[in-house]
Amino acid sequence: MNFAYRLSVSAIALTMMTGASFAQDIQIQNSEWWQNAGQKFDGVTLRGVTESTPASNYVADVLAPKFEELTGIDVQIETTSWDQMYDKAIKDMEAKTGIYDMVYIEQDIIYAYLSRNFLVNLTKALDENAELKAPEYSEENFTSFVENFRGEGGGLYGVPMEAFIKVYLYRTDLFNDPDVQAAFKEKTGKDLKPATTHADYAEIAEFFTEYGKANDMDLWGTTAQAHTGHPASWYEYFESVAPTYGVYNWGIDASNNYAATVENGGTMNSPEAKEALKWWLSMRDIAPPESVQSTWTEVATTFAAGRAAQGLVYGENAAWIATDEEKSRVVGKVGVALPPLEPGVMEEAESGEGYIGYYDGGAFGLPVTSKNQDAALLFMQFMALPEVQEDWAAAGSRITLTSTYDTAKVMEVDKELGGYYSMLRDDGKLFKGAPEYPFHRQVIEATSPTFYEILTGSIGPDEGLDMMAEKAEAELKNLGYRK
Amino acid sequence: MQSNRLGWILLAPTLVILFFFGVVPFLYVLWLSFHQWNPFALDPTIVYNGADNFRALVFDSGFLSSLGVTIAFVFFAVLSELIIGYLLAQAFLKEFPGKAFFRTIHTLPLIMAPIIVGSIWKLMTTPSIGIIPSLLDSWFGFDLNIGTSAVAAFTVTVVMDVWHWTPLVTLTLIAALVSLPADPFEQAQIDGANKRQIFWHITLPMIAPALLATVFIRLMDALRTVDEVLMLTGGGPGSATRYLGVHIFKEVFPKTNYGYGSAVSIIVLYLTIVSCWLLYVALIAPRNKKA
Repeated sequence: MNFAYRLSVSAIALTMMTGASFAQDIQIQNSEWWQNAGQKFDGVTLRGVTESTPASNYVADVLAPKFEELTGIDVQIETTSWDQMYDKAIKDMEAKTGIYDMVYIEQDIIYAYLSRNFLVNLTKALDENAELKAPEYSEENFTSFVENFRGEGGGLYGVPMEAFIKVYLYRTDLFNDPDVQAAFKEKTGKDLKPATTHADYAEIAEFFTEYGKANDMDLWGTTAQAHTGHPASWYEYFESVAPTYGVYNWGIDASNNYAATVENGGTMNSPEAKEALKWWLSMRDIAPPESVQSTWTEVATTFAAGRAAQGLVYGENAAWIATDEEKSRVVGKVGVALPPLEPGVMEEAESGEGYIGYYDGGAFGLPVTSKNQDAALLFMQFMALPEVQEDWAAAGSRITLTSTYDTAKVMEVDKELGGYYSMLRDDGKLFKGAPEYPFHRQVIEATSPTFYEILTGSIGPDEGLDMMAEKAEAELKNLGYRK
Repeated sequence: MQSNRLGWILLAPTLVILFFFGVVPFLYVLWLSFHQWNPFALDPTIVYNGADNFRALVFDSGFLSSLGVTIAFVFFAVLSELIIGYLLAQAFLKEFPGKAFFRTIHTLPLIMAPIIVGSIWKLMTTPSIGIIPSLLDSWFGFDLNIGTSAVAAFTVTVVMDVWHWTPLVTLTLIAALVSLPADPFEQAQIDGANKRQIFWHITLPMIAPALLATVFIRLMDALRTVDEVLMLTGGGPGSATRYLGVHIFKEVFPKTNYGYGSAVSIIVLYLTIVSCWLLYVALIAPRNKKA
């Protein structure tokens, strides 16, 4: 393999780790209102903590300075790793230190935060402080994703700031290449097009891995988020792969005493779950070698480096992969499709009984321990203004207001992305966020050591899933949810 | 009396800080270790559970596995750091061109935050695209994959620790070596002792206190390694590098199992004290007795 090429791939990874900066000029329509609203908070500094993602980096680099320019309120947004972000936010709220005025709430943690009464009811707070309510801010503006952040009584506990689906990305330059198409036809007897079933996906993946090897290319047939020591692999299997086999909500049945084992009524170790895991492991085996150390970030980097022909990639990375020439080698060569499915799964998703993949995203919440709640309410509304959404959507592949779909830049990027935003709008309902459990990390940490052993081959997938289902039930019993 | 009071006044700020940032957290962890507390449990209150956490430790295969790999990690890392640190200290005592430059370069890892060290080594060792696997593959056809090979991951964590902390050992030993009196060495040479005899019978005993202090510091640090390893391997592949520090981190922070995590922390503290005491008894006490 070309050494310089490898170095450049490492450089892309390094660029991703340092984040991005944006320099768009945003025009706020009712700037006078914001100036007046900010006057009484002179000298206030708001502090927020969030995960370092393209969408969050935009908040830190563009929205925070713009807000300060308008209102005079200083906003310091700390962007850090996913683990650190939770660590800092939870410690701050648990210890009631009041360091942070805004915390990132990923869709899957909101239920845990609500159960601990960590967050302010924003709907109620704005109703009670009418002078703080921005004229252009309305909960009606949000997409249906906002429903994930409502609590008791329908109150909103977080302002959505990113929302995306985990999509099936593929390389249009390879899929549309006549020579590649001919080679695929010769090998399989089929036309080369994005897969709709797992069997087709595997066939395409195997073809491209062999094709890369035969032509001395750094090309593999699929990505795999298969880190052997980080929960990213756990997430990929349970939230993106297992549902495509009809195993939903991690295989835990909340309505049946939180059962996880088949014996007790769960599906974590069901035949479908085992089949899904074996399929995914077989894909991992023909993915680029770095996949065993890949979280969501590295999967995007791998795809952007042109090392995979197809893969399941978090939508938050889709825009920069498809459009940013400084970071991506596959600009203009990316198509999107729905994930491959087993028969019957699409019907279940359409009827609302199941889902076909992961709908992720997050919001900014206001901790009850914040010492600057009023000023923070202003910033959170600022993030939800229609006029700040267009550039933000183009930079971070995220849409949280329905009006954003029709903006010029989003429609332009949508074309370059092969219709990603259209898919988010039209098919978003087929995807689902994490289950509404208040014990996410607890169950993940209880079962992930076994999952990592499955990945290393120390334990077989069948035996491993049996063990994981038992451990999940034991942990849930220990936590008091399972009786 | 006057100077005694002045001494206490001067010490007071340090003692106050030590009390609030050292003694109080320790007592809190000790108290928590006898309780069951997970804020995300159905009942998030703190419940006294006696010695249950410590009893559970004995049967916790995850903890026992972590203990095993941690002992191996500490042994290989600290021993390597001592040997390489001593050799480098001896080298830096001699004059050679560019000595100041090399000594500065050699010391640079010390000023880097562990999380940065972990990030750099992650970039350098990412399977296939990292510079180290790439060069090993090009030069020797060796496939270094820390994502699948337990041995490779373990070895890389040891090498990373050695790279990061050997300068500390070197600097300490340089200080110890330059402070040694010349007389015993000259007399030994006159008496016909060879280099090996001088090392075993004069140099080593004379630098033993400094060496032991360094071992204590490194031993304590290595036993609680978290950041670098968490960044590099996440404790994987499987549980190959889930050292005690990483185990405690995962138990306490993501899993929010505060009571049990505190119990593990107390046990690790106990093991650290016992290890240091054993080393002291084995290496220093016999010499003091002889003297």
